[in-house]
Amino acid sequence: MARSMAKPDTLLTLESLSLAQGNRMVLENIDGHFEAGTITALVGANGAGKSTLVQGIMGELRPVSGRVRCEVPNARRAWLPQQLALDLTFPMSVEELVMSGCWPTHGSFKRYGPAEYRRGQAVMQRLGLQSFEHRPLGELSGGQRQRALLGRTLMQEAQLLLLDEPFANVDAATVEVLIDVLRAMAAEGAAIIIVLHDHDQMTRLADRVLRLERGHGFWFTPATINDSSSPAETLA
Amino acid sequence: MIDWLFSPLVDFGFMRRALVAGLALSLVAPPLGVFLTLRGMSLVGDAMAHAVLPGVAVGFLLAGFSLPAMSFGGLVAGLLVAGLAGSVSRLTGHREDSAIASFYLISLAAGVMLISMRGSSVDLTHVLFGSILAVDSTALWLIVGVSSLTLIVLAAIFRILVVECLDPLFLRGQGIRGGAVHGLFLGLMVLNLTAGFQTLGTLMAVGLMMLPATAARFWSKRLEGLMGLAIAIGMVSSVGGLLLSYHAGLPSGPCIILLAGVIYLFSALFGRYHSVFARWRRRVQPMLPPDAHG
Repeated sequence: MARSMAKPDTLLTLESLSLAQGNRMVLENIDGHFEAGTITALVGANGAGKSTLVQGIMGELRPVSGRVRCEVPNARRAWLPQQLALDLTFPMSVEELVMSGCWPTHGSFKRYGPAEYRRGQAVMQRLGLQSFEHRPLGELSGGQRQRALLGRTLMQEAQLLLLDEPFANVDAATVEVLIDVLRAMAAEGAAIIIVLHDHDQMTRLADRVLRLERGHGFWFTPATINDSSSPAETLA
Repeated sequence: MIDWLFSPLVDFGFMRRALVAGLALSLVAPPLGVFLTLRGMSLVGDAMAHAVLPGVAVGFLLAGFSLPAMSFGGLVAGLLVAGLAGSVSRLTGHREDSAIASFYLISLAAGVMLISMRGSSVDLTHVLFGSILAVDSTALWLIVGVSSLTLIVLAAIFRILVVECLDPLFLRGQGIRGGAVHGLFLGLMVLNLTAGFQTLGTLMAVGLMMLPATAARFWSKRLEGLMGLAIAIGMVSSVGGLLLSYHAGLPSGPCIILLAGVIYLFSALFGRYHSVFARWRRRVQPMLPPDAHG
């Protein structure tokens, strides 16, 4: 398989990436370029390696071979994993969670100024969270929690965003809000990779589709994904 | 009443030293306890309090009843147990709390064995239960030094500790492994347990860390509130327990911890959030309307 050249606005490149879980090879020779402003849907059957690929991209799994090349600094990478590690009993409000998106740029000592708080308010308004801003995390519904987590990502001004099934257990109104915000983030130049199962959501949201099957990756457009015999491109 | 409160402190130097030691420990141990409860590690503090014992025993055997030697030994033993437990957890995939539970039991047995071989049961009692009224200037400097250091380090790692407690994957997304933060936090905990063992004993030092923290959770849903309340409860327990111990002729360590225990029980019954009373009140209150937004 020949490797195509990366475009100038490529934020993430996968080069013959092979990943394993323990001693079981999960993915082999995955190639791809992820450009600024594009939303890529990651699809495949359960166990096909979607979460493994996300872990590999985020550096959680060391590649068996090949490599991940990321042009985005750590502070601008965001990851909303499938199994939320978020402690819902933690004594923190929605506003504080959203503001914690400033942490990667502000570190341990720099104060959050009025500009950051104004931006936080704007983010919460955009996500319809303003009436919950002082509510503790433990009292949020699944949809409200997902909005708050995306709010943290917006505060972070993430350039590379990986989401693992963000619409699972989320109400329809929240799905609409999240789709609008993700599209706006892409329009502002972010590269978004999103693990999806729902075909309708994929058609509405994604520019490209990477389907994982039998350990390999196949590239499609949302329009051609159903015609599995003829992928639009086998390489990005 | 005023005489009851102040005369012991005015009349006796050992009471003033004990007061400063108690207040210094109350300033930093309860915030550490708050983070322990938030990390679901409430019993890890107790396990580590036992784990310092062989180090304290070795210090005692080598240098007699020398606080710096025993504290240093306790610190080394505590850090060793924390490090070994973390390593076993990483190498085997077992949960860290089960590894800590295993190592602390080994450590406790080794400590009791060492003290029994060379010391008397009086020595063992002193190490296990401490004596805040016997705090000398050296011990006081050590306690105040440890408290100051803990306060500075805790302030420096506060934000990262909050982020790591709430959502470790967010931190990992930034390319930061939580292990170093976790290790530093455990180090602070061990340091405070060793500073506290002279005054409260190895077994009770953790009480001043945990009871104010668990009591505060019944009164506040905010992190700053939890920290402030836990410190206040720790200080009230220290001062109250000390005075009670003096006037009633009771051992100081158990008085301080029992007073903190009384505050915890009161909070569990009548606290503002999740207490028995708060749950009853919620049941009898009328329902609130649903949210306007999903």
